[in-house]
Amino acid sequence: MLEIRWHSRAGQGAVTGAKGLADVVSTTGKHVQAFAFYGSAKRGAAMTAYNRVDDKVVMNHEKFMRPDYVLVIDPALVYVADITANEKDNTIYIVTTHMSTDELIASQPKLEGRKVYTVDCIKIAQETIGKAIPNTPMLGALMKVSGMYDIEFFKESMVKVLKKLPQKIIDANMIAIQRAYDEVK
Amino acid sequence: MEKKGWDGFEIGAMLRSFDGATRDIATTLPENRPYSVSNSFTASVADWRIEKPLFNKDYCIDCQFCWVYCPDMSIIARDKKMIGIDFDHCKGCGICVEVCPTNPKSLLMFPEQKDEETALAEWPKKEKKADTEEKED
Amino acid sequence: MADTMELRDIEVWDGNMAASHALRQVQVDVVAAYPITPSTPIVENYAGFTANGYVDGEFVMTESEHGAMSCCIGAAAAGGRVATATSSQGFALMVETLYSASGMRLPIVLNVVNRAIGAPLNVNGDHSDMYMGRDSGWIQLDSYCPQNAYDLNFIAFKVSEDHDVRLPAMVHQDGFMTSHTAQGVHTLTDEAAFNFVGVYQPMNDMLDLDHPVTHGVQTEEDWHFEHKARQQHALMTAVLPKIQAAFDDFEKLTGRKYNLVEAYDMEDAEVAVVCMGTSVETAREVAEEMRAQGIKAGVVGIRVFRPWPLEQIAAVLKDVKAIAALDRSSPHGTVGALYNEISGTLFNTDTKAVLTNYIYGLGGRDLTKAHLVSIFTDLKANADAGKVTTPLQQYIGLRGPKLSFF
Repeated sequence: MLEIRWHSRAGQGAVTGAKGLADVVSTTGKHVQAFAFYGSAKRGAAMTAYNRVDDKVVMNHEKFMRPDYVLVIDPALVYVADITANEKDNTIYIVTTHMSTDELIASQPKLEGRKVYTVDCIKIAQETIGKAIPNTPMLGALMKVSGMYDIEFFKESMVKVLKKLPQKIIDANMIAIQRAYDEVK
Repeated sequence: MEKKGWDGFEIGAMLRSFDGATRDIATTLPENRPYSVSNSFTASVADWRIEKPLFNKDYCIDCQFCWVYCPDMSIIARDKKMIGIDFDHCKGCGICVEVCPTNPKSLLMFPEQKDEETALAEWPKKEKKADTEEKED
Repeated sequence: MADTMELRDIEVWDGNMAASHALRQVQVDVVAAYPITPSTPIVENYAGFTANGYVDGEFVMTESEHGAMSCCIGAAAAGGRVATATSSQGFALMVETLYSASGMRLPIVLNVVNRAIGAPLNVNGDHSDMYMGRDSGWIQLDSYCPQNAYDLNFIAFKVSEDHDVRLPAMVHQDGFMTSHTAQGVHTLTDEAAFNFVGVYQPMNDMLDLDHPVTHGVQTEEDWHFEHKARQQHALMTAVLPKIQAAFDDFEKLTGRKYNLVEAYDMEDAEVAVVCMGTSVETAREVAEEMRAQGIKAGVVGIRVFRPWPLEQIAAVLKDVKAIAALDRSSPHGTVGALYNEISGTLFNTDTKAVLTNYIYGLGGRDLTKAHLVSIFTDLKANADAGKVTTPLQQYIGLRGPKLSFF
């Protein structure tokens, strides 16, 4: 069982990201689950989304999770959300930020001693897609850090997930995924 | 209606108006329609009446007011002419008499036991009111 | 003729998407709705499918849930295949008309995305609305995951529209926990799905102009009792065999097996929880873990809540030593509804089982695996002692001091 928790703001696409990831993982024969805590669901409010991946059907419907990966796609949530909640000894953090990993840990000491990776998904999204929607680049970073799938396979699969969008937007997303894959440290 | 048990009727709070299939029911006269036992057409409410309306065709102008207003569809009209009253379904409410515009009225209420011939013989004459008289002149 | 949609063998759908595709595939003629969270996407997606030519049907936006079900009743009496969806307060407003639909023997499928009923206002999932519908004369089928929400819609149409049944059916799924949780859903082709349910066969329809009917008559004391008896007779005798037959046909078509009562690890179980919705699946995982620790744990999932499969449930529970009935609805003044049902089911049988009641998960409060471990641990103590070692009714997952009754 692989468990992922997303920290996002409503409107940044964490649910779409989590469902997109589930979609890709599902095509490889694994069983998936993607859900979110909506709360009041106001745009901009802090929220969490979740993925479970397993070789057998996911039957656990508890919301409680001890995540293997924590994906933070909004830079400010590192300071206002409880991103280390229910962490395990080997939980891996991938955080969207303009800072280096060392600078980030210095600014948020509770990440001290954790496996932390950083990538500026906001900037990548702005420069490629033209909007601060950091969900797809975060998936590129996750592919690099986790080694879950070959990046070319993952991009091909994401093209199918995004097939209803205009071609220009799909192309921009592919560039964003690749950039985050290359830039995550 | 025959008293049936709980399993003796069709499902649902549903009643059929007619036995079997019907075609062009709107152009079929009521007496020729295959009304079902659950249709109120087959139930007589004649004994509900204390008074009954009687019809005097000499004064009727076939305005159809009584036909329109009767709540029990008990005014029998053919070719837009009033021909009589359905005494199986008339409950004696008197609305037809109330709405009749002729002078004297073409419909009047009588005791249930009154025979029609006597009633017609006693029918009131035209009322002359002072103000209407002046206008007519 | 509506366009068909090519689906993958496995689509990653949430429960709402799954239900709306089922409505599309059986080509529902009329959906009248007043959308409410968390059921909104079901009717929204149907409206989209209709607008884009994937359903040859009509979406009617009404002024309230009362109006929505009233419109469904009219459309069903007219002779159409009819469905809608609602939740929570919307369900509550629909209740009056639910009794009309069942009393008039109209086959309507209502997707109820279970949600708490306020006050306080809450959009999250619990079973308050489902429980509110349990005397309304509808068939109530319960989903544990998005796959079930998809599959049970086909079962609902097939059973509900059967001329020996002609009773409306609800398909329940847990708000958010199923409705907004995406999981792999094995799909049917449009053709296979439609053929499983078949072309709608009208009965006593108002649009049959050669056979005029009056629907919704008044009866008073001289006939009301007989009508209600007839309705109860159909619900009690015709429905379960028809559901079983539909489950059998569905298994032949898809390989997916459903049962009137879902029994997991029950063959040799000493302790068991009885529950509904997503909790059933979480409890199955925990039961497996308890077995690894030497506790013979089992899970009974209620698949058909109404009509209540009394004999089947009694059979499944007959050899268990300790049972917990898990209710996701505040019983407000008594024991939980499932506790009552299980008590009534087991009374007059030879069972010596000890039965306790847990109230959990109100307003979407998480039912964790840790909670279930504590329940199974309580049950093991009851089984070993041969008597109740805890209060009869306990609250689980509640903040503050322990709360229990009886």
